[in-house]
Amino acid sequence: MEDVVRQHYTDKEKREIFDHEFLPHINSMYNFGYRLTLDRDDAKDLVQDTYFKAFRFIESFQRGTNAKAWLFRILKNSFINDYRKKIKEPNKVDYQEVESYYNSEDVDRQITPDLRVDALKDMIGDEISNALNALDVDFRTVIILCDLEGFKYEEMAKILDIPIGTVRSRLHRARQLLKEKLSEYAKSMGYKNT
Amino acid sequence: MSEPTNPFTPVTGKKPTCMEMLQFILDGQATPEQKEYFRSHMDHCMPCFKSYHLDMAIKELVQTKCCGGEAPTELVRTIKSQIAQNIS
Ligand SMILES: [Zn+2]
Repeated sequence: MEDVVRQHYTDKEKREIFDHEFLPHINSMYNFGYRLTLDRDDAKDLVQDTYFKAFRFIESFQRGTNAKAWLFRILKNSFINDYRKKIKEPNKVDYQEVESYYNSEDVDRQITPDLRVDALKDMIGDEISNALNALDVDFRTVIILCDLEGFKYEEMAKILDIPIGTVRSRLHRARQLLKEKLSEYAKSMGYKNT
Repeated sequence: MSEPTNPFTPVTGKKPTCMEMLQFILDGQATPEQKEYFRSHMDHCMPCFKSYHLDMAIKELVQTKCCGGEAPTELVRTIKSQIAQNIS
């Protein structure tokens, strides 16, 4: 755990931080909330709750540091504490297995699902979004953080409270699973994937 | 022509594999030198060449199709007024 250095801000400063460092990330936050909960109303509640918490804890935020990563971390924690319990999604994924597979020699010999770039060109509707939403929430999360939000390994590790090695193995598996889903779509659209 | 030195730092201490290099690129973690090295690596490594183009196409698709657009204006309004109430 890092030491939290408490800052002292006047109301005016708090307001400035909130408006200029926190609020500009609202669209990303809302999308992240939606991708986690898969429900627009839950996403709204989650984002609202996150901003409220961010404001309450504003003195543990150091001005000019990575506000986006800080906000994402609060949102992710709120999701785990308040939402994940409600959704009785049995945890089907053995993350230990994901990681040991990633660190084994087998990973280089894995079979890449047959999918051609051509087939992707026809996925102009919701196919990709549905495929992403169909992944287990932890896999969905790393794809969002990396591909949409452009976070670095280190930032993702902090947001998710997992080691960098786990970030890497999870991302690798997530990409693989996404590819499998898209390959199924391509097949259903009549593409012969060879 | 001699092989340029590989700028990828292997996680394991061994020579970095194709998969490790490709993932570094895909995950947006590569330095300009690493990207350059990988570009010339693809010239003589067909599996990397194929995977790279497919994986990048998927990544781009995610970026264009899953970005979610803008947060609802009423949400922004609610948040702003909630904070205004908390600052006297
Ligand atoms: Zn290669």
